[in-house]
Order: sequence, then structure tokens, then C-alpha cells
Amino acid sequence: MTICMSALRSFPKLWNSSPYLGRGPRHSYTALFLTNCIWKPQRWFSLKTVSPQNAKARDLLTAKARCLRKAEERAHKHTPFESSHLFAAGAAKKRSQMNPQSKDRAPPPAKNTFQLPTRPLNSEEWDKLKEDFKGKASFEHWISSQMAHCHSSIDVAKSLLAWVAARNNGIVGYDILVKYLYLCVFHQQTSEVIDVYEIMKTRYKTLESGAYSLLIRGLRPSDRWREAFLLLEDMKKVMVPSKKNYDDCIQGALLHQDATTAWNLFEELLAHDVSPMLETLKAFFDFGRDRKDGHYSKKLLDLLLYLRNNQLYPGESFAHSIKAWFESVPGKRWKGQFTAVQKSGQCSACGTGLESIHLSADEYEFLKEKIMKDVIDGGDQYKKTTPQELKRFESFVKSCPPFDIVIDGLNVAKMFPRARESQVLLDVVSQLTKQNMQLLVLGRKHMLTQRSRWRKDEMEKIQKQASCFFADDISEDDPFLLYATLHSGNHCKFITKDLLRDHKACLADAKTQRLFFKWQRGHQLAIISRFPGSKITFQRILSYDTIVQTTGDSWHIPYDEDLVERSSYEVPTKWLCLHQQT
Amino acid sequence: MNINVTLRPLARFLVMPFTLHGKRNNLYSSILHRCMSSKIPAVPCPNKESTSTSQQLELDGWKTTMKSSVQESISTGLSDKDEDPLVATRELIEMWRLLGKEVPEHITEEELKIIMESPSKSSKKKYLKHLYIKEKMKKAKQRKKEMKAAAREEAMKVKLLETPEEDKQQNFLFLRLWDRNMNIAMDWKGAQAMQFGQPLVFDMMYDDYMKPKELQNAVSQLLESEGCNRRNIDPFHIYFCNLKTNGAYHTELVKRYREKWDKLLLTATEKSYVDLFPKDDIIYLTADSPNVMTTFKHDKIYIIGSFVDKGIQPGTSLAKAKRLKLATECLPLDKYLQWDIGTKNLTLDQMMRILLCLKNTGNWEEALKFVPRRKHAGFLEISQHSQEFIENLKKAKTFKSFPKSSLNVLTQKRQLK
Repeated sequence: MTICMSALRSFPKLWNSSPYLGRGPRHSYTALFLTNCIWKPQRWFSLKTVSPQNAKARDLLTAKARCLRKAEERAHKHTPFESSHLFAAGAAKKRSQMNPQSKDRAPPPAKNTFQLPTRPLNSEEWDKLKEDFKGKASFEHWISSQMAHCHSSIDVAKSLLAWVAARNNGIVGYDILVKYLYLCVFHQQTSEVIDVYEIMKTRYKTLESGAYSLLIRGLRPSDRWREAFLLLEDMKKVMVPSKKNYDDCIQGALLHQDATTAWNLFEELLAHDVSPMLETLKAFFDFGRDRKDGHYSKKLLDLLLYLRNNQLYPGESFAHSIKAWFESVPGKRWKGQFTAVQKSGQCSACGTGLESIHLSADEYEFLKEKIMKDVIDGGDQYKKTTPQELKRFESFVKSCPPFDIVIDGLNVAKMFPRARESQVLLDVVSQLTKQNMQLLVLGRKHMLTQRSRWRKDEMEKIQKQASCFFADDISEDDPFLLYATLHSGNHCKFITKDLLRDHKACLADAKTQRLFFKWQRGHQLAIISRFPGSKITFQRILSYDTIVQTTGDSWHIPYDEDLVERSSYEVPTKWLCLHQQT
Repeated sequence: MNINVTLRPLARFLVMPFTLHGKRNNLYSSILHRCMSSKIPAVPCPNKESTSTSQQLELDGWKTTMKSSVQESISTGLSDKDEDPLVATRELIEMWRLLGKEVPEHITEEELKIIMESPSKSSKKKYLKHLYIKEKMKKAKQRKKEMKAAAREEAMKVKLLETPEEDKQQNFLFLRLWDRNMNIAMDWKGAQAMQFGQPLVFDMMYDDYMKPKELQNAVSQLLESEGCNRRNIDPFHIYFCNLKTNGAYHTELVKRYREKWDKLLLTATEKSYVDLFPKDDIIYLTADSPNVMTTFKHDKIYIIGSFVDKGIQPGTSLAKAKRLKLATECLPLDKYLQWDIGTKNLTLDQMMRILLCLKNTGNWEEALKFVPRRKHAGFLEISQHSQEFIENLKKAKTFKSFPKSSLNVLTQKRQLK
């Protein structure tokens, strides 16, 4: 009851702060109550006057409603207001902002603040500080982590160490030493790093990965950078060093003009099947700017091909490095521009057509087979369908002429939650039939039973205009959608808003997943109409592939902007265009 | 005295006699040396610093002591430069422990091998953490045991001190043999169930789908379920179907039950349930089922897949039932509970308790009390009134997915009213 009352009291304030109901995502939860309250005030009050127990029940109900809605969202994946492309960088972020659900998390609670010393203390002061400290962990341990966390100056840390050593017969524990090392590395105090390195080397026979990483990083700018490789060797005895360790070593080698070692380390990194940090690649390009060396240039071009093969995109500063390197190549007169690509697939800067999104015949066959084997069959045909159904589907697909468009019936029908499902589906089907498209509608059997949302007469009309296949209610329809589309050939598209990530995940290796993603970008039509009954418009399909590419005398490199968050299933929109001037 | 204190944690190293020769011994002694040399300074503490506290601490003083005490350890400690990865791993773990990471103090050769064979760094850390927690629990248990023993001794002393005044003859009806009587009574009931009880099948076909850890969990849950059933007033007749002799499941079960395994009052068979029972009577219980269980039927044979799925393999049991064309059902969790978090897959013993409760009372509220409390927010008692409330909330929410037109919709709605 008290909860209700306080909520009620705060209503006027809410009203002021969000004049457009439900618009501000932050107020979604309360605004919901508000709308409810305005429409049916008597209900609200009848609820609130009963008992505290009822208040709890109400909380349950709202939670339930939230759950329901979340489930609905998952089922339909409708996102009515999207302006950018489905797979464009940042689109997912925008969609998530549209969804008011994601914002009702409370900000993290403020940490209680403990004043860390800002100047070196003497031992009395440390003693006093220790007495004041009340916590579970040991004081030395705790304060050293805090200092590492807040990046205290190393003099303060040093006074702590001196105090600890004085109390402990001149010995400092390993964990405090490592944290001190972290601070030294952070503040780039190379001489201190070397001191600690000496201490550690003599005191302990081996170290663990954390200290090794710090030492490798700390030794990088010093004269003893070669010893970092020894440390790397030590690490290798037990585990594969991280890409960061390799990055540090490579950058250290490049810093000291030892390109051969750097390339060897890079090869080793790739041999461990670790994907390198983009910073490492960037360092190679930065280093290459001063060198006029054909062999080195070739290796850099290999790096670009590595980006291409692994569908990696450089970041903004990396793109700048690439541009600068190209422009520094003597005699070739490269010119680089940051640009966008036109809808037609032509680079706005140089007018070159980009690579087509379509798969080659071999890739297409390969993908088709993989989808059949991994996604639909998946080792157990009963998981997603039944062998009988699979047979029925295969013979059905074979008996039909190739389709132009395959429609995910349920996904399309549930596009508008307020409109009747069969009506929406019929709208879409009839609009497409008018354009003389050969259609296939995939659905589930329950769509055929007469209900308020699935009218029989409308379903019959759909079946007249398009070929239909209805799977069992407990079978999955998406794999059929994929297979029917692939079976019909390269011209065939499919309509769904589903991002199909779960099916992509079923594919065995990263290479096939990338192939699938490319095919998906080239063949998926997503409806972006906003109102039921309006003319359907589709998300434009890009005709070009977003990947690092070359024609010999030109390079086109998509890159990520620093301020745009890109999800793994999106591609960048910005390009670096490089071409040789003649 | 100071030295004594620091030595205590090292006592474990001293257990192994130093006269033994071999790699392992070498390893222990080298670690011992290192630890000793690191804990016990060769150079006595510089008294100047600790006494003159009011002065500013000398910032680099500790370095010299750290380095100088090391010279000692080089001459004595680092005797073997063994390149064995096992040793290297052990040392790495030791260093991690010094850093305060969650790694165990003691580690056996086999565990070390598992760590070395684990494919990634994260899996190594995960396993080490598991060992760490195991070790911690074991220690806590040990401590509790010691405390209990001490308390018992104390009580005995007090009892001895007290003069045995009430040493009078007393009259009792029964000897104190409750546990044994209970067991006999339960066995009697179990035998009855073997003859006339309703079958309940555990499908043991899933050992290929599980990792060793999951399999162990599954066996623990089976043990728990069997115990529940045994204590119940009207037990099921439990069947372990598709149990391959000497398969992973079988070995683990025998390992846990030991000699009791052959005396269990249940049917363990390699046959499938479809061979034992008529297909029409079988109902496969799976959370993926589209059919909701409404009542407990006393003439049906329920099957529980004894499968702990910590990975993501949805629909495995449903696929199994589909293949054999069996009826499937799931518990009506959503109908009765305000589900909050967690999967709808319950553990085997929870399923067993729920089914036993249903069998005896048929009351869903009572039965679903065995669903873990953390997974739901309470029981639903949906009256007409609150159902309407949900509907309203749902409507309000759907509008909000059209933020730009929300005002329009609102006015429309009013007009409609």
C-alpha cells in the first residue's frame, strides 16, 4: 500500500517530465502505470485500497506483463521504426534504444570512497591508516589493489612497499610487488620496471602470466627489450600467450627497428590460431611508413588480405595509418580518400564498382550443403523436424518451379501486433503477386485452423496466390525457409525480419558463418512498412559486399568509426578508397 | 618463535621424507627451499628503519634487502632446472596462489594432468577454481568436525564430573534401534512397490550428451531421487532403462552405491521402456513439450530423462520422444507460478518429489512447492479482476512500441471508449 501511495504522490512530477506518454524510455515503467491509470482510474484505486499483499500481487502482475511482452518481442522481432539498414553498423544499438525495456536498470551504486594517500607517507602514518582500515581483506593487500586501481603515483606506492618491508623483515609479498609493477608500467617508469624485474628474476624461479605480461609490456621501451622474448618463451611452457603479449613483443621489436623478429612473432601468433589485435597490424603499417622496402610492402598487402579473408574491419585510426602508408609509397602515387559507397555499389570518390554481394557458384553449393547438413539435419533430424516432414518438404520443393520470393509466414504476419495476422499476410502476398512473383509461404499447421486471428477465407486466398508449405507446430520453420531459398537459386530472396543468428550459430566453422552472412545480406528482404495496409516497402538490399577488396590499382577498405558501436552481425558503412593516380 | 610460526604452513612439504629420490621429491624440496628462503630472511631486518619511525621512509631501501636475500636462494634453492611442463604448471599455480588467485593449495598429479590437457586458459582457470572451492569446503568440513569432537569431549568431561545420581533403573518399551527399523520398514515398502507400484522410468540414454561433470551431477540427483522415493509412503517402482552395463552411468552408479547397488529395490535394465511397457501408456516428461500436464494419471508410465544439460542442446529429449512417437507432457509451471528466472528444466529429485506429491494428493499447489523458490516470484491466483489488469498492461505496452504515434493512439482509444 505504501508503495502505491508513494507512486501516486509522484505522479504529477512524472506528468511534467514526460508529456509524451511512453516516449522517454526512462519513464516507460511508470508511464505504463500512468496510462493505465488515466484510462481506468477506478480500477487503480480499487486495487490499491485492498491490502499490502495485493500490492505484491500487482508487482507480480506487472512483472508477468513484462515477461509476456519480452517473449512477444522475441517471437516477432518487430522494430517498427528503423531508418538505417538492417545490417549497417549501429543499427542494433538504435533498435535497442527504441525498445524501452532495456532502460529500467538502476545506475550502479556509488562506491564508498576511501581517501587514498596522495603523497608518500612515513611508517607512523601507514600504521595509523592500517588501524583505521576496517575490512575483510588484509590491509596491505587491499590498499595496494586500490592504489593500482586509482593509478596512484609510484612514490606513494614505494613508501607503502618500504613500510611493508620494514615491518616484514625486508620482504615484500609477491602480490604487492606485482601491483607495484603494474603502477610502474602504467606510469612508464622503465628504470623502476627493470629494478622490479631484477628482484623478481632473482627471487622467484618462475612467475605467473600476470607478472610476465606486465614485464613484457614494461620492458618494451627499454634497452633490454630482447629479454621480453625470453619471458614470452617462459610463458609458452605452460600456456599460449595472449594476443596482447604478442602485441607488446611485436611493438617492442618494431620500436627497435627489428622487423624480422616482429614478422616471425606475427607468424607464430597466427600459427597459434589467435586472431591478432588490430593494434598489432596498425603498428606494422605505422612502421612501414619510413621504409622503402619491396618485401616489407608485400607483407603489408598480405595483412590487408588477412583482413579480407577474416572479414575484419580496421578502426578509424588504423584506416588513417593504412592511408598514410599507401601515400608514402614512393613512385606509386597512391591517393586515399575517406568516403561512402553509393547505392549502386560505386565508390563515391573514384567511381569504381565494388565487388558483388553474390556468392560464386562453388560457394553457393557449399553453403547449400552445409545448411542442409548442419542447420536442418544437425545430427538428429528429429530435433528441428521429422524425417517424414523433411521428405515431404523436399519433394514439395522439387515439384514446384523455382520461387522468386520465400516468405516466413509467421514472422511477416506478426509484424503489426494490432492487426489480424492472416490479414497482414494476405496483404503482403497479394501485393507481391501483383508484381508477378512466384511466391512460397512457409508456415505452421496451426495457421490453418480457424481462429479469430487466422481467418480461413483469408488463408484460402493466400493458398490460391502462392505455394504454401505448412510445417508441424513443433517443427522449426526457419531452416525450411533457408533451404527453399537456396534451392530456388541465386535470384531468390526471402522475407523475414529475423536476423537468423541462431541458425548462423549452428554452422560449424567461422568461414561458413561468414559465407552465410554474406548470402543473408544479399538475399534477405526485411519489410519496413510501418502501418498495416500501407504499401509494403523493403529494406534495400546492398548490391556490393562490405569487405576489404582490391583491383590491383585500387583498394577499398571499409572501416569502423570510433564513435559508432557495431554489433557482430552488422557491417561498417564508411570506406577508405585508395587508388593510384596515373 | 617467529620462524616457527612461518614454518607451519610449510609442514606439508616436510611430510615427504627427504631421503627419497626422484623427480617429485626434487620438486617438493625445491619449492620448500624457495618458500623457506622467501619467508626467512638471510639478512636480519634493518633495525634502523623500524625504530626511527618518525622519519620519512627510505623509498628504495626494500630493494636492497629483497635482492640481497635472494642471493641465498640462488645458491641453495634452484638446484634443478627442470623443463618438465608439469613442474612449470605447478609453479605457475603456486605463483597464482601467492597473487591471491583462486587456486588450490594442494594439487595431485592427476589434477595437474587435467589442467595441462585443458585446451584454453579459461578452462584451466575454471578447473582451478573448482579445485579451490572443493579444497576450501573440505577444510571447512574438517574444522567443523574437529570442533564437534572437541565439544563432545568437553561434554563427556562434564558428564564424568557430575556424579551419576540418576543411575536408576528405567523402564523402556523399545530399544534404540530406530534407524535400522526405519530401513527395514522402507525396504518392506520398496518390495511392495516392486510388486504393485506404479512404474516411473528414468531414461539413461543420455550419457553421450553429457560431460563427466554433468554425468556426476546427474548421478547425484538420481541418488537423491531414489532416497526420496524410498522414504515416501507410497513409492514408485523405479526403472533405470537403457542403462548400459559398464557404461559411464553404470560405473558411476556402482561407484556411489557400492555394495548396496545390487540390493536396491528398483529395476535396472539395458532394455528400453518401449520394450517393457505398451507405447500408448508412456508419457515422456520434457520441458520442451507443447502439451501441458493437467492431472497425474495413475495408469500411465511417466518417463524422466536423466539428463543434466549445462551446455545448450535444446530439444534433445523432445527429439527422442518424437522419434519413438511417444506422448509428451511438461509441468504446468507457467499456469501456477509467476516464473521469474532460470530454466524450466528441474532437477531429477525435484521432479521426483513433485510426482510423488501429485501421486499422493493430486494438489498442484502443494506439489509445485518443490520448485526452487528463487525461480519464481510466487503462486498465481489469477482472479477475473487481475487478469483484466494484465490485459491492460499488455495493451499499454504494445502501444508503447509505437512511440511516435502514441498520442494518436491514445486519443483514438478514448474515442473508441
